[in-house]
Amino acid sequence: MATTTTTASESLRRAGRGSLAGARIREAGWGYLFVLLPMAVFGLFFIYPLVYGIYISFFEWGILGKVHGVGTANYHTIFHDSVFRRSIKNIVEYTVVVVPLEMALGLLIALVINAKIRGRAFFRSSFYFPSLVSSAAITAIFIYLLNADGLLNAIIGGNRAWFGDPSTALWAIVGLNAWTTAGTVMLFYLAALQSISTDVYEAAAVDGTGTWRTFWRITFPLLKPAHFFVLVVFGIGALKLFDQSFIVSSGTGGPVYSTYTPVLYIYNTAFKSAEFGPAAAAGVVMFVAIFLLTLFQRATVGRSEAG
Amino acid sequence: MLQTSVAANEAYVPPRSRRRVAGRLIVYGVLIAVALLYFVPFAYTLSTSFKTLPQTAYFNLIPHPFTTAAWTSVWKDYDFKRYALNSLFLAVTVTLINLFLASLGGYAFARLRFPGREVLFLLVLGTLMIPDQLRLIPVFVMLTNWHLIGNFSGYILISMVSAVNLFFMRQYFLTIPKDFEEAAKLDGAGFFKTFWRVMLPLAGPAIAALAILQFQGTWNDFFWPLILFGQGSEHLYTIQLGLAQLSFTYQTLWPQLMAGSILALLPILVIFLVFQRFFVAGVTAAGIKG
Repeated sequence: MATTTTTASESLRRAGRGSLAGARIREAGWGYLFVLLPMAVFGLFFIYPLVYGIYISFFEWGILGKVHGVGTANYHTIFHDSVFRRSIKNIVEYTVVVVPLEMALGLLIALVINAKIRGRAFFRSSFYFPSLVSSAAITAIFIYLLNADGLLNAIIGGNRAWFGDPSTALWAIVGLNAWTTAGTVMLFYLAALQSISTDVYEAAAVDGTGTWRTFWRITFPLLKPAHFFVLVVFGIGALKLFDQSFIVSSGTGGPVYSTYTPVLYIYNTAFKSAEFGPAAAAGVVMFVAIFLLTLFQRATVGRSEAG
Repeated sequence: MLQTSVAANEAYVPPRSRRRVAGRLIVYGVLIAVALLYFVPFAYTLSTSFKTLPQTAYFNLIPHPFTTAAWTSVWKDYDFKRYALNSLFLAVTVTLINLFLASLGGYAFARLRFPGREVLFLLVLGTLMIPDQLRLIPVFVMLTNWHLIGNFSGYILISMVSAVNLFFMRQYFLTIPKDFEEAAKLDGAGFFKTFWRVMLPLAGPAIAALAILQFQGTWNDFFWPLILFGQGSEHLYTIQLGLAQLSFTYQTLWPQLMAGSILALLPILVIFLVFQRFFVAGVTAAGIKG
């Protein structure tokens, strides 16, 4: 009787140990099975294209595929192409103006919303809404508002076709995107404003510091991490400008190349000229630029959070 | 300390309250200006969509005569019915596949132990650094070689799962107590059953947020549909492509263009009104992505 019990418990223990190792293997097997499809997608459509894109950039490559290797000639071609240079000039000018504008408008709206106004949830949602809407819809609406006979001209008494004039087309896109994106910037600033301790403001009130002075001396410097974050993240976003340029210029980047952007250059070089090599090279250049900016952001945001 | 501040407050009551009134006036002044800046464009868009073309020369907000002709015309003559259905099909399909794969992968990375898990997860996060602008040419070449340009399957294939979605689900699964899985294991449930019957229902809020954000992302997408359907596949056009084409070809048909714009944003407006709180989660996710 006793022997039977011992044997039973022993075999149970052995089975238990066996099934523990078995369970480990089973768990790992299920783990690989669960991540198999997602990893296949990431490998095939993200990691492989990274390598393949760099590869294509060293070839003459047409609509029917690889022709022959050309070394770094494609990079040479794009950097000597006046259209690519113009697109870089445009995107730098665009980014340098649009990001501070988004920050200023976003911060202004955040300060107003944060000032305990009536209907604050309603206004917060209303100003955020354009950020959620498709670029095509917002761009179509602005094409209407900014046309020669449009609402803006009716208000200011002009007759300029804002998107049709090479001296204003890019700035009209700046206006449209600042208007759209300020709502998202507002949400980041609102979160930052709400994390500032009220003690600071009470101290300022006791000292009799005015509202304007309180803002510039206390609030604005305390928002430094938010400024940094918004500057870099939205700066990177601005470099990828495409939809709005494509739609207002019917894909030409015009008038007279004034709305040409690097992404539009990639698109037109590939799909209008069927030169995939230079297009891939321009893609690699953009990737490197964005990668460096992202590293810069990681470094600076990390430091400002630690400090 | 408290007493001092109270005393200080009392001493300054009259000037402070005057300053407060002035401050409030400025706040509401700015609010009204910003509100006009944001409401007027949408108000005119709506108004113009119910006007006749000659009426768009005037800026009266109430259309006179009031007509729905532009709406019927974009829906039927300019094929927006087909474009809207294409967008709806793609958005629903891509969302469902993302929900399944992001939860499946997210759960495995959060809870199942297997060799190489951390390396694979770093690889997933690394894909966030690869911009669409670099992927554009190689992905187009690959899909061309596989004859997946000019039909929906190429678009669905490359959109099946994103690192942001997988990361989002993993973070949510990490917050669920392990007791639930252990109880399921004691009941003899296998790994898939535990995931499907126990963990997935517990992740309801995360799944709802992800569904809304992915639907919005696919519905609004302009870049990839343009790349994959833009070369002469008009029957595959999404509503965003249809709208861009309407603006290229008939740039001054304002009532139609505005009706088309509203159609292109309407589903997002409805979802936003019903599920506002989930969009804030989206901003947090964007913060992680950045």
